[in-house]
Amino acid sequence: MTLENPQSTARIGGRPIHPMLVPVPIVCFTATLLTDIAYWRTANMQWANMSAWFLDVGLIVAIFVVIAGLIDFFGDRRIRALRQVWVHGLGNGLALILSIWNAFVHTRDAYTSVVPTGLILSVLVVLILAVTVWNGWSMVYRHGVGVRPEPRP
Amino acid sequence: MSARRLALAGAALLALSACGPSPMDPRRQIGANPYLPPIHQYLVPPMHVAKVIGWGDAKPDVAPGLRIEALATGLHNPRSVYTLPNGDVLIVESGAPPTVVNRPKEIVMKWVEDRAHGPIVPGNRILLVREGPNGAAGPPTVFIDHLHSPFGVVLVGNDLYVADTDAVLRFPYQTGETQITAHGVKLCDLPGGPIDHHWTKSLTASPDGTKLYASVGSNSNITENGIGAELGRAAVWEIDRATGAHRLYATGLRNPNGLQFEPQTHVLWAVVNERDELGPDLVPDYMTSVKDGGFYGWPYSYFGHHLDPRVRPQRPDLVARAIVPDYALSSHVAPLGLVFDTGTNLPAAYHGGAFVGEHGSWDRSVMNGYKVVFIPFANGRPAGMAQDVVTGFLKSQNEVHGRPVALALDASGALLIADDVGNAVWRVTGPSS
Repeated sequence: MTLENPQSTARIGGRPIHPMLVPVPIVCFTATLLTDIAYWRTANMQWANMSAWFLDVGLIVAIFVVIAGLIDFFGDRRIRALRQVWVHGLGNGLALILSIWNAFVHTRDAYTSVVPTGLILSVLVVLILAVTVWNGWSMVYRHGVGVRPEPRP
Repeated sequence: MSARRLALAGAALLALSACGPSPMDPRRQIGANPYLPPIHQYLVPPMHVAKVIGWGDAKPDVAPGLRIEALATGLHNPRSVYTLPNGDVLIVESGAPPTVVNRPKEIVMKWVEDRAHGPIVPGNRILLVREGPNGAAGPPTVFIDHLHSPFGVVLVGNDLYVADTDAVLRFPYQTGETQITAHGVKLCDLPGGPIDHHWTKSLTASPDGTKLYASVGSNSNITENGIGAELGRAAVWEIDRATGAHRLYATGLRNPNGLQFEPQTHVLWAVVNERDELGPDLVPDYMTSVKDGGFYGWPYSYFGHHLDPRVRPQRPDLVARAIVPDYALSSHVAPLGLVFDTGTNLPAAYHGGAFVGEHGSWDRSVMNGYKVVFIPFANGRPAGMAQDVVTGFLKSQNEVHGRPVALALDASGALLIADDVGNAVWRVTGPSS
């Protein structure tokens, strides 16, 4: 019986790139929801402006997250064999499409750049991320994806 | 490589913006009762600007019975013109002041705007042209240098007032002078930067010369820079010439320009650029008399009581007393110039009516504006359909020779047109002159 974990292909110095970068869009899209709510409650444009920056930064970094993730996905058959990986990938793809849509909605001027469409999209994205991030943790902490195997005694 | 990437991005934007309604015939939106379609909020507004190709040997087309020649060419973004009592013509060269980026969208908008304005670096000065029997007697010379995004000019007695984007300045002027080197004395601050969205401040004086009127455009399309940035803006200011004290003469005018007193009734008129991104046919720009204490809707409503859903908090108290403008010019034509025909040079049919300079649209898939139109007046009120007077600024939907901005009459009564991207001033005369 082998103890070897599914390995990451997109690595720097043995460290997988995907988990290094993935916090950026997660934080950005979650922050977008918070600043959208703040704008909805206050009509203070500062919050809507912050949402637009968060969304765009999140999307730019997400491009690299997707590339690294796809390289890992195609790089190791054992990764593709995990059921969580499919939920993780498809869910995040959907979250990304909704976020691109959301970024365009946020280019509108003033109230309707957020309420209601932008705010609804921000909520949906965070709900999807809650599932896919949970999945991602399962992949690393339960299935050891990208984790170096224990040195043999 | 970067050009190809831009082309790809442009194609993607076009594909997205194609989802909007198709533009209707602008003539349905000219006059006192424009047709107002339902609001359409875009995912990506259609940003359609034409490449600036300049005039070469070409010139604009004029209506039958008129002739046109260049009064000056080779200029640096001429935006307005003003005739002194001795017949000398002032040409104001001006460009937008530097602005701030508050959100990612503004980076894209700036790129589109730069493209629409061509490669010439604008002057920030006023030139003088002395007219001969048939046009200019010589090339323009520098009259006042080192201004700050100037636009409006008006002479009262020996006081020449210039509206920089952030102040009204007073210069001493003696008839016949061709250069002023004295520093301007500030009469009054105007709302300027750091955000200075609509920056052109037009200027005129009351018929008795005691008051100045300055137009101050809004600091945003529709309050996206916050309502606090709009203090004193979207308004016509009345400035006391003796003290520099000011009050808001009229408000709710998104981007008013071309302040002029109608010659018969001595009522103040302006042309106004209305809001964007509600569709190709919303909201019609307009020409209106400006009533003392009047509120004209912006930002809360348009054309009277039509609410704009993008503004929070709303102000039903203000909307209730919003005045319906007098005369719609159709959507996104961007009127920046207005002058009443009080001379004898042009054919009698034009006498007493209004010429309007339409800078032209940037957010409509089919271009609108890019011409000078005439609106007949009777008893101090618009009386009839707008007529094309000077056209041919657009070579095609993708190439533009020039764009008309502010207008004036010269001493002979010929119509002068500042053409900012064509870098020329045009002079339109009747058949006999």
